[in-house]
Amino acid sequence: MSEGAGREVRLPIRLSMDDEEPMYRQIEEQLKGLILSGRLRPGTPLPSIRALARELSCSVITTRRAYQDLESAGFIRTRQGMRATVADVGEEERERYRREAVLEALRAAVEAGRQRGLSAEELRRMFEETLSELERKE
Amino acid sequence: MHLAQERPAVELEGVIKAYPGFRLGPVSFKLEPGYVTAVVGPNGSGKSTLFRLMMNLARPDGGEVRVLGGYYPGGDYPGSEVEIKQKIGYVPERAVGHDDWTARELGRFYARWYPRWNGPLYRELLERFEIPHGRRFKRLSKGLQRRLSFALARSCEPELMLLDEPTDGVDPFARRAMVDEISAFMQSGERTVLFATHVMEEVSRLADYVVLLSAGEFLGFYEKDALLEEWRAFWVESPPDRAVPGVVSVEEAGPVRIVTRSPEETRAALEEARIELFRSEALQLEEILELLLRERRGAGSRV
Repeated sequence: MSEGAGREVRLPIRLSMDDEEPMYRQIEEQLKGLILSGRLRPGTPLPSIRALARELSCSVITTRRAYQDLESAGFIRTRQGMRATVADVGEEERERYRREAVLEALRAAVEAGRQRGLSAEELRRMFEETLSELERKE
Repeated sequence: MHLAQERPAVELEGVIKAYPGFRLGPVSFKLEPGYVTAVVGPNGSGKSTLFRLMMNLARPDGGEVRVLGGYYPGGDYPGSEVEIKQKIGYVPERAVGHDDWTARELGRFYARWYPRWNGPLYRELLERFEIPHGRRFKRLSKGLQRRLSFALARSCEPELMLLDEPTDGVDPFARRAMVDEISAFMQSGERTVLFATHVMEEVSRLADYVVLLSAGEFLGFYEKDALLEEWRAFWVESPPDRAVPGVVSVEEAGPVRIVTRSPEETRAALEEARIELFRSEALQLEEILELLLRERRGAGSRV
């Protein structure tokens, strides 16, 4: 029989070719995000390297590299001849990821403000204003 | 996930084939198991000759062709030619001798020759590709003939598939089904596919490596993603007034678009020249291959 044609697990991952980040890194980052945000639960089977390569229009050299890196970082498990699955990364790690994502966004916002010549005081005020604006809406 | 393999599925070493008015080669590359390789090149570049050499339907005038560990007669080869070919699923440019046979009869014929013939899969593929069982091959449309040839090659459960433009004349839906089937065939990671095509979408979806031919000349064996990551286009405010390393072409009509094969070097040189780079983009595979072809043609005319 033809093995699993059309019945592959699909992942909400997209490669942005204009991004200068190498393709395997983009796959790693997005997959890590899906795992740490809990959207992919521990034990979830992942597409084979061939199926993922077809989905993303990249080669298995790239998808294999991404899976290998994620495996050595403890995010996924692969066993000889078996489908790769999502590993259990633990609540602590997920919590750290949630905070890290927010911190990163804040850092980017502060950096953008600085580049446009805003003072620390102005930035602080903008942060407070945005916060209370959102609180009012809720 | 991927087993270490002891030998390449196909090895070409300095292969040359000459016909009156045409010469292919020298061609050298290796196809490792687990990978899909696309053969790309304008019409008349020698793609079909390459397949025929691997099937021993044409004999090289020079160099060596080694398929699945064996040489064809004339060399020192371990198995018989039949044994090698039982492990190959071949879709030729034009199927020979199929004309008066129906899909059902062809299936029976193949079952006798291929020890791993997969009858249930064959019937499933005929169904999926909407191929009539009882109509003679020559009465089928070009697209249906290609689909049937593919179904036959796939159902041999081969180790190696050699597909010479399998999707030529096939409608987009059936083409997609064929791409899916090739992908499924490769799932185990131990088989090998070489296919020729003019459709870049198929190269993008399936290929790990690309063989580029032009008028019989072997231009290279490339890792597809490495090509995509190596080439970039930079949009800059003004054309550089000095030589910038890595640059392949500069288009100056309107905003300046620079194509580079060495993005990091080019970027550093632009920075040094204080030329602002305001957009960086990837190139389509098609444009890269086009530039590689043009580069070679340019080099040829200078000689």
